[in-house]
Amino acid sequence: MSKYYLFQDSKKCIGCHSCEIQCKTNKALPVGPKPCQIIHVGPKMIGGLPRASYVFMPCFHCENPWCVAACPTGAMQQRAKDGIVFVDHNLCVGCKTCVSACPWGAPQWNPETGKVVKCDYCMDRIDAGLKPACVTVCTTHCLHFGKVEEMTQMRRERHARSVAALEEVNPS
Amino acid sequence: MSPSTCPVNDTIVNIDAFITAGRLKNPRSRRIAEEMLELLHDVAWGRAGSDHLAAMQSLARELIEDGPDADSREAGKIADAALSEYHEVFVSHVETHNCSTGDCIKLAPAPCQMACPSGIDVPTYVTLIGLGRDAEAIEVIRKDNPFPWVCGLVCTRPCEFMCVRGRIDTPISIKFLKAFAAERALSERNYKSPPKEPDKGKKVCVIGAGPGGMTAAYYLALKGYEVSVLEALPVAGGMIMVGIPRYRLPREVIDREVAMIEDLGVEFRYNTKFGEDVTLDQLKKEGFEAFFFAIGAHNSFKLGIVGETDFPQSIDAIDLLRNVALGDRHIPGKKVIIIGGGNVAIDAARTCLRLGSEEVTIAYRRARTEMPADEEEVEQAEEEGVHLSFLTVPIEIIGRDGQLSGMKCLRAELVAKKGSSRKSPVPIEGSDFIMEADAVISAIGQKVDNACMRSLPDLDWTRRGTIDVNMSCMETNLEGIFAAGDAVTGPATVVEAIGGGKKAAEAIDRYLSGIPQPTMPPVPVRRDRVDWLEVPATTKMVLKRPEMPLLNIDRRRTTFQQVELGYSENMVREEARRCLRCDICRRCGDCVAVCRDKMKIDALKMGYLDFDHPVKTDFRLTEERCIACGACAENCPNEAMRIEDREGERVLSLCGTILNRQKLVNCDSCGAVIGPAKYLDYIKRKVDTISQVADDRTLCEVCARKQAIIVGGIPTSHL
Repeated sequence: MSKYYLFQDSKKCIGCHSCEIQCKTNKALPVGPKPCQIIHVGPKMIGGLPRASYVFMPCFHCENPWCVAACPTGAMQQRAKDGIVFVDHNLCVGCKTCVSACPWGAPQWNPETGKVVKCDYCMDRIDAGLKPACVTVCTTHCLHFGKVEEMTQMRRERHARSVAALEEVNPS
Repeated sequence: MSPSTCPVNDTIVNIDAFITAGRLKNPRSRRIAEEMLELLHDVAWGRAGSDHLAAMQSLARELIEDGPDADSREAGKIADAALSEYHEVFVSHVETHNCSTGDCIKLAPAPCQMACPSGIDVPTYVTLIGLGRDAEAIEVIRKDNPFPWVCGLVCTRPCEFMCVRGRIDTPISIKFLKAFAAERALSERNYKSPPKEPDKGKKVCVIGAGPGGMTAAYYLALKGYEVSVLEALPVAGGMIMVGIPRYRLPREVIDREVAMIEDLGVEFRYNTKFGEDVTLDQLKKEGFEAFFFAIGAHNSFKLGIVGETDFPQSIDAIDLLRNVALGDRHIPGKKVIIIGGGNVAIDAARTCLRLGSEEVTIAYRRARTEMPADEEEVEQAEEEGVHLSFLTVPIEIIGRDGQLSGMKCLRAELVAKKGSSRKSPVPIEGSDFIMEADAVISAIGQKVDNACMRSLPDLDWTRRGTIDVNMSCMETNLEGIFAAGDAVTGPATVVEAIGGGKKAAEAIDRYLSGIPQPTMPPVPVRRDRVDWLEVPATTKMVLKRPEMPLLNIDRRRTTFQQVELGYSENMVREEARRCLRCDICRRCGDCVAVCRDKMKIDALKMGYLDFDHPVKTDFRLTEERCIACGACAENCPNEAMRIEDREGERVLSLCGTILNRQKLVNCDSCGAVIGPAKYLDYIKRKVDTISQVADDRTLCEVCARKQAIIVGGIPTSHL
């Protein structure tokens, strides 16, 4: 597990995809690869109303990443100091084993370079003291990035809100 | 001033360095530089048009003149300097689609094409022949060589010596494929000349109707010039008619291809010797504005030994061959000695046999391996019964009362000489012996007959007695006078004369249009980039160069019928499938290196990459180890290695050679293709150490991503 936490408050998310666009712009990616993606779930009829949910899917930066184990060239790595899983593009040869190995489809194929690209929490930005690109443009401020320990307060608040919201939406 | 690296590629590297290093801080400068880089890439990829160079020049000027900072101006200056200093190279890239250094990887030429003195686009026409498109193949060949049939039978085939396939087993039979296509296209009435350009109203005179002269006449006629060819002999063809015997090159072959040139309106004046029958001034009065001398090398070198001029039976091979070709088929003697070791000696010996000589011996002063003659020719001569006597140095021709009776010779030994790669024969004292004969024919080389050129006293000659020209445009020191062929190179090959003739035609066109001549010799033009022929790896390795069927030995010893009977159609089409398409695969070895060093799979066995320490190449071996990951294809700079999913299979191919084919596995959920079992297995073994996800199904990445949300496959720690 990386020592960072990228938290999406799905109650606030309106599925505007700004995060995806900013992510791709920051990494200068062509049509195709999406290191982070908003997955549209629903709509489902809940309490007689159509409800949809937007789930933010970056890379989870697993503690024991399948992609790193699968990579034959050592391009896919886990950064020792903070656990970020990233691709060294100089080593990637485009064999796509990581793409096939990841159960969450986090490594993405960049057809322009013939190499893999994935969410690395914009580690160059983090190292410069900035936030990941996706977080900076979130229109509803539903994306939050920080160290895990800093996030606990927010989780409490969010949990409280979600409990309150549930009562309102679904009386049963 | 041929640079060793490609200036186009160098400029790309330089400008790219400016952009990536962030040296162009001004946005406008950066945009101009990026635009220039795009244009440079067009040039390096062979997709640039005629306006590209001017556009780049103006962008460079813009940077120099309006650049707001020193870096902008420096970038502009670098580009501008390259564009003006190496203008010819840039133009050559645009026009020929060929980067002779190979730095522009998309334009790296095939070794066969670079080896050809007339620069024929070999991979293109071989593939077209493989597709059965003979007339198109002839069209491609005739853009560089108007004599595909002649060359298909008698070329010394430098292309085949450079053929990369020769490093695996045997070279492609490039030479004969050409002859087959020419014969087939002629027979089907599809052998056509391209349309002529509009009449330019200018007259060019070609002196000598040999391969060099007629090639120049052909290209000049196509460009719209009025061409007249003067020929001292009563027939066209030059050395290919009177030097090469009919059993190697039937007269009909020459006649048909000469007729193609006559059809373009070229006038032939036979029995007209320059300097005797007509002078330069007379020709100038007739309105000729440029002259091309391709007078060949028809004079023999003399042995310079005692008795050489004392007997009528002591003759020159060139005279014998000429007389026989012109119809005087008289036997020189029953017992004949030929002196020399080149193709002319072999031709003379085999001609003597066919004229009825009972014993023919070739006396050569070095050993067999030093013989300059084509090995196949020597073998065929031996089969026909020609004797070879090596390390034999003639010292005197003997006889009495005008009848030659033999030749006194010395044995020689070969001694390595300083500054020469070839060993020299040194006579052994006291080893003299007599070879009996009633005729001695010397074939020790030819020189240019310069007597006819006396009316041009200011013409520069080389020390070797050949006409001195600027090799990049075949221009002599006299204005409007060009020369090529044996008269310039000394006795050489048909294809060299053709290459010279073509070069001269281009130069004469420039001269008459007032365009300055280039300083660099022209680069062969890549005429097309046809897709490859698809061949399974096993077939590619099993196919062998076919043996040339020969006329039966009795007829070979008695008649002048063509000895090489030619391949069957099936042989030709199969032979074309052996081509490795080196115009596309540049043999950089990136695929092999990625598979071996990065993927650690080492499935690609391609040893011909290393010319000095060749490893056996076997395309069949890939299938056993390859997991069809496609890393080789992703890293191929020229799209020669291709991986594609089709008809339920993943297919890996290199220039059409199918190296591997594996059945594809589909996603359990959506049916999308996820790869072959071997590939999935490879990954499974790698990630086995990590506990599997709850769901054991085989899913594609899209489904896996959805599954992670819907089924709750995301580890709880993430929520």
